[in-house]
Amino acid sequence: MAAPRSCGLWRYCCRGWSCSTGDCRLPRLHRSWARATPSARLLSQEKRAAETHFGFETVSEEEKGGKVYQVFESVAKKYDVMNDMMSLGIHRAWKDLLIKKMHPLPGTQLLDVAGGTGDIAFRFLTYVQAQHQRKRRRQLRAQQNLSWEEIAKKYQNEEDPLGGSLVMVCDINREMLKVGKQKALDQGHTAGLAWVLGDAEELPFDDDQFDVYTIAFGIRNVTHIDRALQEAHRVLKPGGRFLCLEFSQVNDPLISRLYDLYSFQVIPVIGEVIAGDWKSYQYLVESIRKFPNQEEFKEMIEDAGFQKVTYESLTTGIVAIHSGFKL
Amino acid sequence: MVTLLLRSLRPHRSLPLRLRLVVDVPLRAGSHGPRLLYPGHIPTTSLQKMLLAAGSAGMALYNPYRHDMVAVLGETTGYCTLKFLRDQMKKDPEGAQILQERPRISLSTLDLRKLQSLPEGSLGREYLRFLDMNRVSPDTRAPTRFVDDEELAYVIQRYREVHDMLHTLLGMPTNMLGEIVVKWFEAVQTGLPMCILGALFGPIRLRAQNLQVLFSELIPWAIQNGRKAPCVLNLYYERRWEQSLTALREELGISPPPKHIQGLA
Repeated sequence: MAAPRSCGLWRYCCRGWSCSTGDCRLPRLHRSWARATPSARLLSQEKRAAETHFGFETVSEEEKGGKVYQVFESVAKKYDVMNDMMSLGIHRAWKDLLIKKMHPLPGTQLLDVAGGTGDIAFRFLTYVQAQHQRKRRRQLRAQQNLSWEEIAKKYQNEEDPLGGSLVMVCDINREMLKVGKQKALDQGHTAGLAWVLGDAEELPFDDDQFDVYTIAFGIRNVTHIDRALQEAHRVLKPGGRFLCLEFSQVNDPLISRLYDLYSFQVIPVIGEVIAGDWKSYQYLVESIRKFPNQEEFKEMIEDAGFQKVTYESLTTGIVAIHSGFKL
Repeated sequence: MVTLLLRSLRPHRSLPLRLRLVVDVPLRAGSHGPRLLYPGHIPTTSLQKMLLAAGSAGMALYNPYRHDMVAVLGETTGYCTLKFLRDQMKKDPEGAQILQERPRISLSTLDLRKLQSLPEGSLGREYLRFLDMNRVSPDTRAPTRFVDDEELAYVIQRYREVHDMLHTLLGMPTNMLGEIVVKWFEAVQTGLPMCILGALFGPIRLRAQNLQVLFSELIPWAIQNGRKAPCVLNLYYERRWEQSLTALREELGISPPPKHIQGLA
């Protein structure tokens, strides 16, 4: 396709720029994945003075990023509580389904974009740990005629309970990452996690790095969704999988009306009472309405170069999981 | 009809995404644009007001430190009472002047140095002492958001800013007990549903010994003074800083507060 190739051309020109260490906040282990970020934008020939939507408001594209940042900065501390209240706890089932669909095996490198408070990352780590334990138990059972000492040694030599899996949590918002890091400490997730401050439209990683790329309830807040999809395609290894969990369009007209009523009448009220913030939750429900439906989003993913793109609607279409492969 | 329109547009992939999005119909009261009556106004439907009233009442009781919830409760339940209060203010000459000039009490509008220089016992000096002792500031009042009338929004804002004045007039501290006493006074004076609810349900959070003092002495005192005094919203406090507090209390018919209130938590 013409679009990704031409973007690849100017991105290739920019790769010579050195990484400004002030912007790349990466742990020492992963500096190999660092690359230039803000300077690349200067070479872009297209001057965007265009407008976009911020919920039902119209704002300039430069403004939208800042406004979305402020929204998440103010909701970060109550983000999880509000998720539970607004979705009546169903968001947990959606996220569990995403991981089940991913079915990651030990050794998977996951990039979770807009993963701020770490819901997907922690579920991934738990799943992979369980898989790894199951694999080891199967291995031990298959090996017949082992002495007690040898079995004990096998259990003791557990160097990596995750079997080499790693998850990078990337988010543009510092407050959300702070909350996520604290949650990791509280829940006891120490190994296999890395926290990176980065923009989904310009990821601070090299090409062909990750096995799976996920973005859960984040892509509708991105100013240029097509750029985020192209970046996703770039950082995935060939054979890598793109998974997106996002609010989508409800199929049933009656449920759609009830859903709209609940969204616009009840959710901002809950936001005001619990978090003291009406406007952020108003933006949230409006941004859901502005996001393309299942089919349109599938086409956008295909335009970015992914193949075998499918989607699965959950809870009558309130959310949908889109999946694509880089082949 | 809108869904038919949307469905007809969907097959046209050549249409730019922005055009498709413009067709979307906003399904709720607009919170930006020409429907805003004053800065910070959030238009709400009656259902939202009812839910807000219930939610804020529950949250205020559960967590009394959520002053914003008390404010929201006042805004969502007080529409009719505010109209009555506004009419009362219009009838009184001083009140009408307040409605006309719309003075605001905040750190930016108060001349703190001038108030400091006033003699002891004057309203201004005592008000400043009250702010210092209780470590409060007039700027912590949340702006009005859910009242759907511009003048009534000012009336409730004025009521909130005058609340600290009432503490000074009645000599009540800003602890739970003092707040409830002031609420009883305000409930009798203004009749705002939020004040009535606060007065009735606030004591749930008090300890037994405080409850006893409250019911035996403080509430009857507050009710008596509330009935005797003219509407406190009609006082142009900004012009009365030099007036002695005792003289003002006499003018309003407020008897001195029971002395031992300060010792109670």
